[in-house]
Amino acid sequence: MTRVNVNRRDALRLALSLSAAAGLGLVPPRAHAAGTINFADIGVGDPGGDWSKFEAASGYDVNLVSIGNAPSAVLNVLVASGGQGTYEIINIVGGMQKPLVDNALVEKIDTGRLPNWAKDTYVEEFLGNGKPGFQFIGYDNDIYGVPTVLQGDSFAYLPEKTGKLDSYAALFDPKWKGYVALEDNYTTAGQKTALYLKKAGLAKIANPDDMTKEEFKAVTDFLIDQKKKGQFRVIWNSFEQAVNLITSKEVYVIDCWEPMVFVAKSKGMDVVYADPKEGYLLWAMAAYLVKNPNRTAEQTEAAYKLLDFMLGGWYGAKITNLRGYMTNPQAETYAKDNPSEFPAEQAKRVAEITENVRRKFSQGGTWQNRWPTEVEFYESEWSRFKAA
Amino acid sequence: MVTAVEPWARRVLLCLPLIFVAIFLVVPVGLTVMISFLQRAGLRFLPAFSLASYASLIGGARLEVLRRSLLVAIEATALSLIIAYVIAYFLARKVTPAAARIVLVLFTIPFLINYIVRDVSYTVLLGRTGVVNTALMAAGIIDAPLDWLLYSDFAVLLGLISAYMPFMIFPLFLSIGAIDRQYLEASALLGASPLTTFRTITLPLSLPGVFAAGLFGLVGCLGESAVPIILGGVGYELIGNTITSSMDVLNYPLAAALSSVVILLMLLLMLGWYLVFDMRSFLGRILEWRA
Repeated sequence: MTRVNVNRRDALRLALSLSAAAGLGLVPPRAHAAGTINFADIGVGDPGGDWSKFEAASGYDVNLVSIGNAPSAVLNVLVASGGQGTYEIINIVGGMQKPLVDNALVEKIDTGRLPNWAKDTYVEEFLGNGKPGFQFIGYDNDIYGVPTVLQGDSFAYLPEKTGKLDSYAALFDPKWKGYVALEDNYTTAGQKTALYLKKAGLAKIANPDDMTKEEFKAVTDFLIDQKKKGQFRVIWNSFEQAVNLITSKEVYVIDCWEPMVFVAKSKGMDVVYADPKEGYLLWAMAAYLVKNPNRTAEQTEAAYKLLDFMLGGWYGAKITNLRGYMTNPQAETYAKDNPSEFPAEQAKRVAEITENVRRKFSQGGTWQNRWPTEVEFYESEWSRFKAA
Repeated sequence: MVTAVEPWARRVLLCLPLIFVAIFLVVPVGLTVMISFLQRAGLRFLPAFSLASYASLIGGARLEVLRRSLLVAIEATALSLIIAYVIAYFLARKVTPAAARIVLVLFTIPFLINYIVRDVSYTVLLGRTGVVNTALMAAGIIDAPLDWLLYSDFAVLLGLISAYMPFMIFPLFLSIGAIDRQYLEASALLGASPLTTFRTITLPLSLPGVFAAGLFGLVGCLGESAVPIILGGVGYELIGNTITSSMDVLNYPLAAALSSVVILLMLLLMLGWYLVFDMRSFLGRILEWRA
């Protein structure tokens, strides 16, 4: 799932801009850094380019490089592009442990080296071993990802056109025929559909988190039937495209992410992110420690310091404020207690977002599964849906 | 004054493109075909001669995607050919060389615009609340927005034609422009109508250019992935998209098999072009030194 549409071109542009800025003397040189942590991220984990607190504490620079979030993009960065020998940390939507661990691309996390780990009560509350959320950070009872962001997704609608909506049934309601958009992603749109079918008693699905072939085929058949009836206007592929679909009123009901609603609202739109009775599609981002053969013990220590920094209050508050996602339990308090860094309005926003996401998690739903057991069957069936 | 090229120098010159093609085309294509037969083991491949990827291609929805991709590509190429031929004909026959040069330069402008920017701009123009629908409704021509303007077959064809038609004008212009005007004058003197002259002389003699232009268009349309995503709405999974999608689950042998089938189709078309037409008639004087 691509949470933020940042591609290599954007990264290159950023690199060129920074090079030019450095050349013009706009970026102060960091002559005394002990080293650099190479940090690959999908765009969500960047605190506005400000790593000064970490750099002051650790003596290490952070070199953030934007990458795509699709599994192939992540693996291409680590394998084909030689990223395994370059990066220390890779921060993506979690749940990728199977391909990453099975191919020896990431290391087990020694949580004892992270002082903030014990303070992050969200780990035990939502992502603990034995809970569905564990698959976002763990694999075979071991921890491989440090949770950096948590969120619950549903869908958005234009109340002026539809009135209040509180069920995924709206995505398939003939009243909005031709005015519905889905995300082009079987682990989001596919799972939300499965959640709806299960809760509405329209299909026998034991676990929307990890469906059997028969169950996912039932989901695909349902979507194909809806598609042939003309229910969907478009399947969207990028953040900007989804925002445009909302702001242009091309569709009235859209399966999407909450930050898209924030953007649409900032443009004066009356858009509501639904609170569906079936629950949410829950997910988390995970920062993985890359199994980098070139890394020294000192660099590993610095990488652990960065992971710990990302579990801290300042980083959490900054990311919540910038991206609209819940991060860690210290974020809200830090923002409230440090008005010089987070003015009252920002602290209020951090508190509201945190409370909103906590409410979603308490309501439940289904945990997104980035790498379900039958992932290839999912992909093949999704192609069948799109080709139908 | 043209000086003779030494045979050894000619061979060296020929070696450069051969080396380039070998390194940047033959080797990658060869690897792609090889990977399509390998057996998967996580991110690695086991040496094997497995037809599993081809079986998956034939057995699942991929074959329908391939069929549909071919159909859409052929439709877009045929429509582009008609439009490009008319433009090339007028540029080669009906306007002065100076005017033709200016128009040809104008047709290079689409190459300078990012294809994503171009496709996204269509969504602004053709959406339900877009410029076209708004103007038509304001003029009283329609009462409700035309849904088929965007996220439809029409939108995909428009995107493909605007992307690849300009490529096709150039070979057609070269081909039509190379036809000896004396043939046309003789036809007219013998009493043939302009339509008969076009049908019996211009069109047959321009066929190498038509085939070349068709090949350029078909290759581009068949591999296109941005247009169906941005303009296709719900129903456009073309072969480029399904190759990307199979790579998302690390099924590289399947992606390689799909790519190999497309490459094979293109090679067959090129072989047909090579066997049916004398390429020198298209490439003109470039190869005359061989005679």
